[in-house]
Amino acid sequence: MSAKRDEPNFGSSFPITFKMMFKEEWRQNVDFAKSRRILMFPALLAIVSMALTIGLRFLTGDGVSGANAEEISRETFTFEQLRTGIHLMVFLFSMGMGTFAFLGRSIVSQRSGGKNFLLASPAMQPIDLQTTYLAYYLKEVSFYIVLILFPVTIGMALGIASQSFLEITTPLLWTSLLPFLVCISLTMAQGIAISFFGSTLMSRGNQWNFLVPILGAFIGAIIYVGFIPMEKAIIGLWAHSNGSINALIWTPLAFLSCAILAWISAGLLPEDFEVRITGRDDLFIPIYEKLGKIGLRSDSRMRILIAKEIVDVLRSGTLLKMLGSFAVPLLFLLLLAWGADFASFPIPFNLLSYAPFIGFFGFNFYSWLNAIDAPDHLNTMPVSVPELLKANIWTYFLLTSWIGVIFILLMAGMLDQWNDAVSAMIVMLANSIYIVSLSAWLMGLRPNKAIFDSGIMARFWVATAFPLIGLFVLSFTKGDTTLLENWGMQVSAGGLNAEAQAIELENRQSTSLTGILGICAILVSLSFLYLRLLKRKWGSAPFEN
Amino acid sequence: MLSWKEANLNGPVSKTLSEYLVEAEGLAKRFGDFVALQPLDVKVQAGEFFGVFGPNGAGKSTFIRLLTGQLRPSAGTAKVLGINVDSKPRLVKANIGIVPESESPPSYLTAAEFLEFVARLRNIDEINEKVNYWLDWFGMTDKSGTLCKDLSKGQRQKVMLASAFIHEPRLLFLDEPFVNLDPIYQRKCRELLLKHISNGGTIFLCSHILEIAERLCTRVAVIDHGRVLAAGKMNDLRNSKDETLEDIFIRLVGKSIDEIEAESITEEE
Repeated sequence: MSAKRDEPNFGSSFPITFKMMFKEEWRQNVDFAKSRRILMFPALLAIVSMALTIGLRFLTGDGVSGANAEEISRETFTFEQLRTGIHLMVFLFSMGMGTFAFLGRSIVSQRSGGKNFLLASPAMQPIDLQTTYLAYYLKEVSFYIVLILFPVTIGMALGIASQSFLEITTPLLWTSLLPFLVCISLTMAQGIAISFFGSTLMSRGNQWNFLVPILGAFIGAIIYVGFIPMEKAIIGLWAHSNGSINALIWTPLAFLSCAILAWISAGLLPEDFEVRITGRDDLFIPIYEKLGKIGLRSDSRMRILIAKEIVDVLRSGTLLKMLGSFAVPLLFLLLLAWGADFASFPIPFNLLSYAPFIGFFGFNFYSWLNAIDAPDHLNTMPVSVPELLKANIWTYFLLTSWIGVIFILLMAGMLDQWNDAVSAMIVMLANSIYIVSLSAWLMGLRPNKAIFDSGIMARFWVATAFPLIGLFVLSFTKGDTTLLENWGMQVSAGGLNAEAQAIELENRQSTSLTGILGICAILVSLSFLYLRLLKRKWGSAPFEN
Repeated sequence: MLSWKEANLNGPVSKTLSEYLVEAEGLAKRFGDFVALQPLDVKVQAGEFFGVFGPNGAGKSTFIRLLTGQLRPSAGTAKVLGINVDSKPRLVKANIGIVPESESPPSYLTAAEFLEFVARLRNIDEINEKVNYWLDWFGMTDKSGTLCKDLSKGQRQKVMLASAFIHEPRLLFLDEPFVNLDPIYQRKCRELLLKHISNGGTIFLCSHILEIAERLCTRVAVIDHGRVLAAGKMNDLRNSKDETLEDIFIRLVGKSIDEIEAESITEEE
């Protein structure tokens, strides 16, 4: 028998936990899609990044000849705008990926159900929660750097290298690659750390459940309207914009600050692995009865599954977190509508511009729905995966549609665009139906695991980007038409060198609304098609998330 | 006996029976209004094979989770290996082996990786050799590279047992350790545990399988509804020479249910 052992210190417990968590993450992703398709994801990113690098001169106007400087500056992006755009995208993406403080309790509660993860190891092993979560944070950051940011940088390098064998030029320099990788990684590390901090506070419950979403949306809005410059809020963007060696020298310290924030967040997590054993009133029957009022038959399996899903949401305590994940971006947009002077914006936002995105945010909520409980027990029941997927879609609408409706009404009031409220609701609902049906068809019960599956992500991107962009652009004619004149007419007629032509606003508005409703009709039709195809794709799949 | 090298199996035995490895004083646990464990005092000496028995939901697992730092007590104190569990749970976990009831190893690690993880956390020597030894001991060498989620329930239980044995702890906490094991490995494990005791080790076991208590335990406690109904050596618990543990169990637990029903009727009146 062994001699008495000391409590393992950080130096001995952190490296092995980090290493094993990295393996665990990789295996989870490979388990969903085959490793070939996972490896295709960075390859796909590298190809897209290479194409963008080759086309960069057109985006920045460097490749345009014959146009005057004023035209070029109006019709193209500056490097600063592109830099801000990419940092903002990565920052928002990482905010979505950092809410793992919520994972702990559900993983702990599921560990005796056949599935277990290293996050639950402090219950059994001599390792503290703080070290475990710090390892998880760094695993997340490094995993995304390896699978997303590094391939993007490789693609940029290939784009630069292509100058030597393709007769093209790119304004991007070899020397800008390392600063790009370092700074964009920093942006990601900061986004995940901030999101982790917010989710940690929310996991403490009580007033934090309300304060965190409101504060998050408020801070987001004041940054967006420029009260706090974005370059100062996103450290990676600051270092990247500064561009000097002095700024880059500070980046290790900034990375360390992000890790310290993650460490503090991990320390704030409630360290208990208790399963609360309390008597509860029966929820299932009352919810099942109420579902009858919306027309679901008493002999329908769907009604039983929806009732079960709603009970899961309410009992798991995740309703507030899920609503938070849905409401934060909406609150952000609402505060923006309240604080921003849209007349001064180069892009004429209006109520119809927001509506498609409300539907799109529903993807977050739908992902949560699929992760509340392990559905494996349903393998022994006379139900199928498509039925559960449809029940989740129903649950999503029953629990969230009112948020979107309230949001549209509030926005209509703030923007004084009541005339567009009905159209905006149609757009919002059509997008909601479309996004969740598409997610269900493409990703089944595991939407969170599909992110690195190149095949799924490519299809998801194509299927969502085109309708969203179409609806977004068409919505502009409800306001200023300058952008449509420059984009639509010029680009279709002759690219960047084309002459601007005046258009008739009345006709354009009418065409636009018809176009918007037409796209919505197509989206709803496609949604029903996806739902019909669920049986073919997931009919024989096991219940596993 | 939990030494992985055969050479160590007959090593020096040091039994100091006066030493208490587990001490609980007034240890209690409530979950809101639900009383999972009423205040209880238990002491387990070095070298004992101590068994806690009771029906489903009696509080056995809660008891073991309190003693191993997986739960915090609502009242009372617990010391394991002389260490206060509430203030130093990780130090306790570093020095004991735990096999929880129906918990799986991490789904996306292989059996070998999980054992490596457990061993490295405790900074033990010759990790690869020990991992291989225990995988071989449990007949799982060919499964060492299989993800734990793809193992059968019995194989997962073997991995959990190996993870409790690999650092050769002096004290083992086992909650239904033989569940899902086939009869061959149940016997093999029983023999291993008895050797552990004969080499000076100590075992705290929870189960509702009474046969195990009769075969293995030197002292038992029967609990139900979160309270100890009886504790002592088997002979002390018997009303008659022929009384089996099952008879004792039914007598004690059955009585307690009658009492509780009687109490609830009295309260209603």
